[in-house]
Amino acid sequence: MKKKRKFDAFPYLLLLPVIASSVLFSFYPFLKTIISSVAFTDTFGNWTGFAGGTFWSMMLKNDEFWMILWTTVKFAIANFIGTFFMAMLLALLSVKRTKLGKVYQMLYALPVAMASAISSVIWKSFFSQNGILNSWLGTNISWMVDVDKSFWVVTIVTVWCHIAGSYIYLLAGFRGVSEDIQEAAIVDGANSFVRAFKIMIPMASPQIFFVLFVNIVNAIKTFTQIKLLTAGGPAKSTTTIMYDVYVRAIELGEFEYACCLSIVLFILIFLVTRIQFVLENKFVHYE
Amino acid sequence: MKKKDIVSDIFKILLGIVLVLPLILAASISFMPKADIMKIPFELNLSNATLENYIHSFKYMNLLTYFKNSFIMVGIELPCKAFTALLAAYAFSHFEFPGKNFLFTLTLTVMMIPGEVIIMSLFKMIMGWNLIDTYAGLTITGLVDVAAVFMLRQNMLSIPKSLHEAARIDGCGRMRYFFSILVPLCRTVVAAYALRGFINIYNSYMWPLLVTTKDEMRTIQTGVAQLSWSSHSGLVLAAAMITSIIPLMVYFFGMDSIVEGMTAGAVKN
Repeated sequence: MKKKRKFDAFPYLLLLPVIASSVLFSFYPFLKTIISSVAFTDTFGNWTGFAGGTFWSMMLKNDEFWMILWTTVKFAIANFIGTFFMAMLLALLSVKRTKLGKVYQMLYALPVAMASAISSVIWKSFFSQNGILNSWLGTNISWMVDVDKSFWVVTIVTVWCHIAGSYIYLLAGFRGVSEDIQEAAIVDGANSFVRAFKIMIPMASPQIFFVLFVNIVNAIKTFTQIKLLTAGGPAKSTTTIMYDVYVRAIELGEFEYACCLSIVLFILIFLVTRIQFVLENKFVHYE
Repeated sequence: MKKKDIVSDIFKILLGIVLVLPLILAASISFMPKADIMKIPFELNLSNATLENYIHSFKYMNLLTYFKNSFIMVGIELPCKAFTALLAAYAFSHFEFPGKNFLFTLTLTVMMIPGEVIIMSLFKMIMGWNLIDTYAGLTITGLVDVAAVFMLRQNMLSIPKSLHEAARIDGCGRMRYFFSILVPLCRTVVAAYALRGFINIYNSYMWPLLVTTKDEMRTIQTGVAQLSWSSHSGLVLAAAMITSIIPLMVYFFGMDSIVEGMTAGAVKN
């Protein structure tokens, strides 16, 4: 059967658009980011000379960088805890199919259609000085200007934006647990708490793992909410690595410094996905 | 037993209402006249409901231009993403060729590079090509979606090989097989992808913000978000509602399909 066939270009032609776009708009800019972090560049990002570790040492010696890194970590943890537990609660509440199930499922998943920009604009109007929140609480707090509060405002809005997506994945995971096993547990006298913790959660562990880590990565990548709610302030207290990339590259014109930050961003995300991979192999239960 | 179920259902619905309360409030306030909104203390009062904020937002903002730009963006990106992914998935699922594994790994590697990491380099490239404030600059980096390639490849692998062989023996050309048999077989997956993709592209903010500077090139998200610094909440919220109506409609009519598309292929099972 094994005959030497003529070279067939057809499959390569099919792949051409995807490969070309990947090289041009993913690999090349990635390489450019790495090189630009050790080079001097002009306004268009063209290299004009070798800079070595100039920008790296500038970044690492900058106290502000370490503060921003710490903010990023805090933000990731706060978001992941908020989103994960809320989505988990909602998903566990809606596992059982009931008559009105469609109604509350629809409500829980609805924010998935909302743009992060529009959500930020809406929340911002509530949090503003003469907004609805101050008026109802009878307070006069500048939510987005106060150093202690602005971080939590951004966190609340980001969590609100991310709950629905996580909820959908988790619900699909829980719904995938076979009815037979659940019924067997009910017959054996397991109450709903035991069923949730001993059956649903272990059986849906692939989805739970996915949601867990995707939320950390999403929090690290958050830009819109920060930009629109606080613009990184006050006193840079809500500036994360992602937002600083934008500030440096666009507002301050420090493209090389922004490239160093981009690489830090990449390393952070890469580390999270590596940890996910290692833990997944260890703990996740696949049927 | 029955009564307990109803009580818990009502509780769950109330919880859902609390969750979407910001949207309900935003929608209500958008119908209130300016004088009522500015009242201190604020009172949610719909007795003077008016369309004034909606009329003003169309009057004072180029909402129609923003909509046009957003639809052009979706109209270019979405079909391109779906079509290029279908082609690549066809190659990866139906053909054996030298370098297949390498090219597959290469495509897989793209998913390891988050768009946020390279966005500034991409922006400089677009700037260097003089594509700022053009539709080409807005869309050229978003014509291919590698995740869609994998989703469709998975789907195509589940189609029996014998179908391909039978069609080929009957003299069906490779492109004809693709267009008249394979693509129709993938239509549910493509439809789910299209709904989700529509919402994602329509809702995108950072890239349009970077590559557009002129007001007449803004998309609906970047255009309306400029208002976030305005203190006229009625106007801001009316514009936010106008912007959200389309993705919310897509969500209501395509919910089941979107859920399927989000969960299919996302998690190995």
